[in-house]
Amino acid sequence: MTAEVGAPVSLRPATPRWRETLGLLAHNPTAAVSALLLLALVLVAIFDETLAPQGPNEVDVAARLESPSGAHPFGTDDLGRDILSRVVLGTGVSLRVGFLAVGIALLIGTGIGLLAGFYGRWIDDALMRLMDMLFAFPAVLLAIAVLAVRGTGWGNTALAIGIVYIPVFARVTRASVLGVREEVYVRASRSVGASDWRLLTRHVLPNAAPPIIVQTSISLAFAVLAEAALSFLGLGTQPPDPSWGLMLAEGRGFIDLAWWLAFFPGMAIFLTVLCFNLLGDGLRDVLDPKQRTLMAGGGR
Amino acid sequence: MRATRPLALAVAGTLALSACGGGESVDTGGGGGGGGDNTLVAAVSAQPDQLDPHVTTAYASFQVLENVYDTLVVPDPEDLTMQPSLATEWKTSDDGLEWRFTLRDGVTFHDGSEFDSADVVYSYNRIIDEELSNSFRFQNVESVAADGPDTVVLTLSQPTPNLLERIGSFKGMAILPEGAADDLDLTTEANGTGPFRLESSDASSTVLTAYEDYWGGAPSVDGVEFRYITEPAAALTALQNGEVQWTDNVPPQQIESLGDDDSVELETTPSVDYWYLSMNYARPPFDNRDVRRAISLAVDREAVAEAAWFGAAQANQTAIPEDSFFYYDYAPFDRDVDQARQLLQQAGVTTPLTMGLMVTDEYPETVTAAQVIASQLEEIGVTVEIETLDFATWLDRQGAGDFDAFYLGWLGNLDPAAYYQEQHQTGGPNNYQGYSNPQVDQLLQQGATEPEDEARKAIYDQAAQLIVDDVSYLYLYNPDVVQAWAPGLSGYQIRADKAINFENVELP
Repeated sequence: MTAEVGAPVSLRPATPRWRETLGLLAHNPTAAVSALLLLALVLVAIFDETLAPQGPNEVDVAARLESPSGAHPFGTDDLGRDILSRVVLGTGVSLRVGFLAVGIALLIGTGIGLLAGFYGRWIDDALMRLMDMLFAFPAVLLAIAVLAVRGTGWGNTALAIGIVYIPVFARVTRASVLGVREEVYVRASRSVGASDWRLLTRHVLPNAAPPIIVQTSISLAFAVLAEAALSFLGLGTQPPDPSWGLMLAEGRGFIDLAWWLAFFPGMAIFLTVLCFNLLGDGLRDVLDPKQRTLMAGGGR
Repeated sequence: MRATRPLALAVAGTLALSACGGGESVDTGGGGGGGGDNTLVAAVSAQPDQLDPHVTTAYASFQVLENVYDTLVVPDPEDLTMQPSLATEWKTSDDGLEWRFTLRDGVTFHDGSEFDSADVVYSYNRIIDEELSNSFRFQNVESVAADGPDTVVLTLSQPTPNLLERIGSFKGMAILPEGAADDLDLTTEANGTGPFRLESSDASSTVLTAYEDYWGGAPSVDGVEFRYITEPAAALTALQNGEVQWTDNVPPQQIESLGDDDSVELETTPSVDYWYLSMNYARPPFDNRDVRRAISLAVDREAVAEAAWFGAAQANQTAIPEDSFFYYDYAPFDRDVDQARQLLQQAGVTTPLTMGLMVTDEYPETVTAAQVIASQLEEIGVTVEIETLDFATWLDRQGAGDFDAFYLGWLGNLDPAAYYQEQHQTGGPNNYQGYSNPQVDQLLQQGATEPEDEARKAIYDQAAQLIVDDVSYLYLYNPDVVQAWAPGLSGYQIRADKAINFENVELP
C-alpha cells in the first residue's frame, strides 16, 4: 500500500461485513436456495389475497373433498373450501406469528443476555436463574399455559411462543458476550472512557451477534412449527381462519379418505421449517470466523 | 328430554338409557367361563366425568351408568314408550294427582342388600332436597312416600301426564340404596341394581363385571370394558382390528364407505337429538325479531347438516324429529338471502353486523357447522366471529349470558315438554337466550298437564310454531345415531335415545 505518511488509513474492511456475509451466503447453495424460497414465501404472504384463486373461507358443501384438479390444484376440504387458497392465506399467518414470536424473544432475550453477560455477578445470577426457571417448563406446556391465561388468537400465540424462546436467546447471547467482553478492543474502548451503552452497542453486541443471528433463523423454524402445533391443538389460530396447523388437524380425520387435506398444509410446514433450518446452518458456516476465512479464500 | 344442562346436555340428556328394559331378561349365560374372553370391549369417545347418576350430566357417564343402575320405568328400546322396570305396575288416581307404584320383588343391589320402597324414597328425595341437576323433573311432585316395602306413592301438585318420562327416561333418575351418598363415594363407586357392577374406573377405561343375581337374569357376557378412544379414526381402526367389539365413535365421513366393509357391522337410526343456534335476547340487535328471522332465513340447514354429518342428519326447522308422534311439519324458513337482507334493513341494522358464535371442541360438529353458517351469513352482511372454547368455559359463559350466539344440541329427548319447556318458558332453567312469550308460556303450561296425546300434540304444535317464528332457537337438524360393532355380535339394539345397554349382548 502506498499511503502517504500521515494520511489516515481506514481500519475498516473495504466491503462492509454484511455485504461480505451475503456474498458468502450466495456461494452456499443450500443456504442460498433456502433464502430464496423463504423470500418467495414472504412474497406469497404479502400478496396472499391477490395470489389465492378464491377466498379461503368460501364454503361450498356440494364440492367437498374433491381431489386435486385444474379448478382446485390442491383439492377441496371437508367444507368444499379451496385448499390452495387456504395454504396461501395460511402462509401469512404462519410467518406473522413466527416473526412476531421470534421478534419478542430476540428483543427481550438478547437484552437479558447482554446485561447478564456484560455485568456478570449478581445481575448475571439473578437474570439467568430466572431464565433457568422459564427454561425448565416444557416449551409447549408453557405456551399452552400462556394461551390459557391470555386467550387464543394469533397475537397471543405469538406472545406465547415468544416467551418460550426468551431463555434460549438469553443464553446464547450471554455465552457470546462472555467471550467478547474481555477482548482487547473492548478493554481499550473502556480505558478511553467509553460509556457502558457505547461499549454494548458499538463493540459487544456487533461482535456477539453471529450466534444470535443463527439462533434467530433456527428459532423461526421452531416458531412456525410451534404455531402449527398450537393451532393443531386448537389453541392457536381459530377456525375458520386458515392456519397450516389447523388445516392439518382438520385433515387428520380424512387422511384415508382424502389425503390432500393434510398433505398440502403438511408440506407447507415441512418446507418452511426446512428452509429456516438450512438457512440457519448456512449462516452458522458463514458467520463462523474460522470457516469464514476459509471460504473467503484463505489468507487474509 | 334433555338432559340436564344444556350442553352437556346434549349429551347428557341422552342418555338415558334403558337399561333394563323391556325385556326381561335374557339370560344367561353364556358364558361362563372364561375370563377375559367373554368380556365385551366397547370404544367410547370420552371418560365419565364422574359416576354419581344424580349429579353428572355427561353422556360418557351415562353410557356406563345405563348398565349399572335401574330406574322405576324405562323406555322401550323400539318406540321409547315407558315400560316396567323396578316398578312392575302403577296406578294414577282419578284426579291425576297421586301415582302409586308397585315395586318388583326379589331385586337386590350389587352388595346383596334387598331393594325396597325406602330406596326409592331416599333416591328421589336426594334429587329433590339437594336440588341436583334433575330436580326440575320433580317440579310437580309434592311428596314421595313409601306405603309398605313394595309401594311408593308420588303426590303431585298438578296432573303430570309425562311423569313416567320424567322418572324413567334416563339413568339420571337411578334408584340408589338408602344412605348410598353417606356410605359410598358415589363419584367413583356404585351400588346399583343393574345387570353389571362397577369394577374399576380409571383414566384409560371403566370396567364392569356381570352381576349374577341381576333380577332380569345374569348378562350373557362376563363383563364390559369401556375403553376411551377419543379419535374416531382410531376407534374405528381398533374395531376393524378386533381390539374392541363395539363403538359409537364412528367418523361420519366414513359411514358411506363402511357400508361395504365386511369387518364392521354399521347401523344408523334417527336419534331424538337436535342441534340449534341460539341468540342472546339481552344483546341488541339480537333482541330484534326481524334480525333473528333474517339470520334464520340466511341459513341453509341442509348444507349445515351435510357438512356436520355427511348425510347422517336430517335438516329440521323444529326440534322434534320426523319419526316422533309429536313431529310437527313446519318449515317457514327456506333460504332466501334477499328477504333476509331486507329484514335486516327493516330492522335498521347497519351491516356488516358482527355476531360472536360460541362453539366448543368438545363437540367438533359445532366447530364445523359454525364455519358453514359463518360463510352463509356473510352473504347478508353478518360477520360471524367463531369462538372455540373448552366446554367448561363455554358453560360458564352460557350461564352468565356472556354470548351473542351459541351452537349446541340437546340429546335424549323423549317427551315434547322436554323438547320445549325448560328452554323456552319465561325464566326456564335452560332459557339462556332470554326468550319470553306469554302465549308460549301458557301453551307449555297447558301441554304439561294435558293427559290426551292428540290434544297435547295440538298444543305443542302451536307452541313450536311460535317458538320457531320468534326464533327463540334456530333449529338446524336431527342427527342419526351411528354405531358399529363386530360382525356376529348379537343381542344389542341401537336406540334413538342413544342409551347403550349391553345386558343381552353376546359376543361372536
